[in-house]
Amino acid sequence: MAAVGRLTGDQVSRPANHPRRRTGLLLALPAIVIFALLFVAPLFTLVANSFRTQTGAFTIGNYARFLGDPFYREVLWNTLKVAALTTVGCLLIGYPFALYMRGRSPRVRNWLALLLLSPLLISMVIRAYGWLVVLGPNGPVAGVLAWFGITPPQLLYNDTAVLIGMVHVMLAYMVLPLMGSLDRIDPTLVPAAKGLGASGWTCFWRITLPLSAPGMLAGAMIVFSLTASSFVTPAILGGPKVKLMPYFVYTQATTTLDWPYAAAIGFVLVVVTTGLLLGYSRLLRRGRGEVVFG
Amino acid sequence: MTRLTRALGTVFAVLVGLFLIAPVAVTVASSLTTTSYVTFPPQGITLRWYAEVFGKPEFLSSFVLSAGVALAAAAISAVVGLAGGLAIHRYRFPGRGALEAVLSSAFAVPTIVLGIGLLQWFAQMGLASSPLTLLLAHLVLTVPYAVRLVLAGLAGLDRSAEKAAAGLGAPPFLVFWHVTLPAVRGALVGGAFFAFITSFDDLTVALFVVTTDLQTLPVRIFNYMQYDYDPTVTAIGTLMVLFAVVAVVVIERFVGVARLFGADTDHK
Amino acid sequence: MKTRTTRQEGERSMSTSTTEMAADPSARRGRLRLDGVRKVLGGKEVVSAVDLETEPGEFLTLLGPSGCGKTTTLNMVAGHLSADGGVIEVDGTDVTGTPPHRRSMGMVFQSYALFPHMTIADNVAFGLRMRKVPAAARRRQVEEVLEMAGLEGMAGRHPRQLSGGQQQRAALARALVIQPDLLLLDEPFSNLDAQLRVRLREEVVALQRRIGTTTILVTHDQEEALAVSDRIAVMADGVIHQLDRPREIYLRPATDFVAQFIGEVNALDGTATGGDTCEVAGARVGATPVGDPPAPGACVRVYVRPEVVRVQTGGDGLTGTVRETRFLGSRIRCVVATGAGDVTAALPFDARVPAEGEEVTCAWRPSDASLATR
Repeated sequence: MAAVGRLTGDQVSRPANHPRRRTGLLLALPAIVIFALLFVAPLFTLVANSFRTQTGAFTIGNYARFLGDPFYREVLWNTLKVAALTTVGCLLIGYPFALYMRGRSPRVRNWLALLLLSPLLISMVIRAYGWLVVLGPNGPVAGVLAWFGITPPQLLYNDTAVLIGMVHVMLAYMVLPLMGSLDRIDPTLVPAAKGLGASGWTCFWRITLPLSAPGMLAGAMIVFSLTASSFVTPAILGGPKVKLMPYFVYTQATTTLDWPYAAAIGFVLVVVTTGLLLGYSRLLRRGRGEVVFG
Repeated sequence: MTRLTRALGTVFAVLVGLFLIAPVAVTVASSLTTTSYVTFPPQGITLRWYAEVFGKPEFLSSFVLSAGVALAAAAISAVVGLAGGLAIHRYRFPGRGALEAVLSSAFAVPTIVLGIGLLQWFAQMGLASSPLTLLLAHLVLTVPYAVRLVLAGLAGLDRSAEKAAAGLGAPPFLVFWHVTLPAVRGALVGGAFFAFITSFDDLTVALFVVTTDLQTLPVRIFNYMQYDYDPTVTAIGTLMVLFAVVAVVVIERFVGVARLFGADTDHK
Repeated sequence: MKTRTTRQEGERSMSTSTTEMAADPSARRGRLRLDGVRKVLGGKEVVSAVDLETEPGEFLTLLGPSGCGKTTTLNMVAGHLSADGGVIEVDGTDVTGTPPHRRSMGMVFQSYALFPHMTIADNVAFGLRMRKVPAAARRRQVEEVLEMAGLEGMAGRHPRQLSGGQQQRAALARALVIQPDLLLLDEPFSNLDAQLRVRLREEVVALQRRIGTTTILVTHDQEEALAVSDRIAVMADGVIHQLDRPREIYLRPATDFVAQFIGEVNALDGTATGGDTCEVAGARVGATPVGDPPAPGACVRVYVRPEVVRVQTGGDGLTGTVRETRFLGSRIRCVVATGAGDVTAALPFDARVPAEGEEVTCAWRPSDASLATR
């Protein structure tokens, strides 16, 4: 009788459950220790350090410096811009691709999902290196352009290169929630709309698109926050010329060795990404996932 | 009209497919070039760059370090994930809510922030770089996935099967062994796989934790790329892609890669 | 949620007031004709050469088990599936190749297919919007049809806020407001509980009679088909087995399938003796031939429903011994062992109940039974 369902809230106060509470705590202990020592403590250290000068005195100067310096404001702005453009890029490629996937058989869908996920299965460094080759001066893109007699523009170490690399990785994060949303649409809605006189385009604009909005929103949130906080791909494809916050967290911590300032930049980044996710979940809770669009 | 749309759809899908495989395909192809710089299409065919990789002991030692840490991270994540998942799913205990909150917020904190947090925390604790600190750092990345997957597996388990087994006279340990564990086996394999990949692939956190003597494979490649532009890296990349392909084939047998990433590709 | 709205349904039903949509019998349109319509899906012919013609204003039902091709046929009529052969005509116009949004068909789906992101009013207005009806006229028509469907006050709600019955009415309102040539109903009652199902289907029939739109209903529920239809087409394996009025379908099934699919039946094998008679186990019995009377000597089968079998002492008919009688409330079930096998009779509640073991004769009116060649 001890193992009745998981809604054991009414049993908590009973003395008979004390051994169970102990079992639970014992099972959870390794996870609790790991997170207390390796997640909570480092983040607290980080917050504390972000309010310190290099010598250890309390200050809010690190944040003031970040927000007051036009250079760092541009870094923040550029981070948001690249994340937003990556999101738009994923949406523009991902939406038609999700529609295409939806029309395929389960077998083909599985293969397409694997294809989408393939960038996530290869090492980040190798993946980014691959783009260095593809977009590099001896790569296929330059080759094709040269064949047409066009002098290849500089394709690497700029926002465009970062954008291409990020859309490549993030596409799956956009398409998969979108597929979930599209699959939840009652398949008779489009025939119903057609029967009432709506053409294919009208059906798309008035039925499919609005009903897939929750998936689009979820995908956009994930892509935006992951892009804003990603380091490896922008560092390899963009280098120092592309001003993104994670890169400055890294250089401040390892090159300039200004740990408090690195901590402050890191924390601004956390606020940007988690603030977005929190806002999203609040939006979902208020609209219960459906009324978000009207 | 519909035929045209269908043809356009296929063309589009093929282009997206090319985009998705382009970096890998180009890396693999250019690893065979005879030139001393990376070029695509490759010129001539040689395995020279593979020989070059094996002639560099630092890559081998980095591989051994990465694989060792990743294997340990996978094993520990599976065990901790199973215990933690069971605890959250089945038991009430002090700190349960806090643990759940931390688990879910771990996904939202940027890896780079975790990296400098760990750097500063380890420094404050006086912990020097070692394979152990690397492993500890990676556990923060991998355990949340394992717990989440185990919880999903447990949610799909019909508790009446356990009750039936108990009713048939199975003692708790055998119920766990014969009923509960098989139900979360997929989740455990998936969690371990994820943990391995995440740890093996991690550059962001490792960059903060490593020293010049202690470099994981991604760090080694990253540093090599800064100074050398010869096709050695493409050869390493190809080997790593082969490694990933084998892992994917194995995992596809066990759980299905798409399901692992939360993509339900079956029609309901 | 469910209980609250069921109560509301009890208070309100589809209004019977005359509206603009009431029929002018002379203007009745909606003559549907199918000629040799075929459909192949996944290498299998799911609809084979279906011929069908409706009268304007008729309520016609496609009845059959799941997978018999009835829904596929309906979807070809609506244009959601293209026909692989044959012709579909509405009022003499060939619409076989017309895309669904250019046909004028109001369809109610099994799931109702209400647009979840639109209010009921917007759902109903959708078809009018597509037809570019001006806003003022649109609003008036939506109001009217919602009133007719008993959904006043629901205009601003979203589909999920309505009960199953209200959703069904909203779907019907949405289909009717465009004044379609044909009203197509795809199992529209199957998601409702038994009581509501009967009520709503009666309301739908009353409404259909009043506005006179030709209606095609697809269902697997034989009782529903018998209750609502002017004519029923019984389908199996992509073929129409019989197309007739409910009474004929029930009393005079043309094939084994029709006889077995709808209710209980006595199937008696015998030999034709010309005209509407045949010999079954040495006795001469009458039944109405399906099509041309079979030639004398042909192997035939007589289908007799239990309800039409009289069990009497003496007289003409099939003789046998009462094996079992059972009181079933509204009927008394009596099984008679005859030379042609067991014959089941469903005797009226006040009939004389023969004793078990009694020698009796089973008889029926020839017009109440059918005679088919085997």
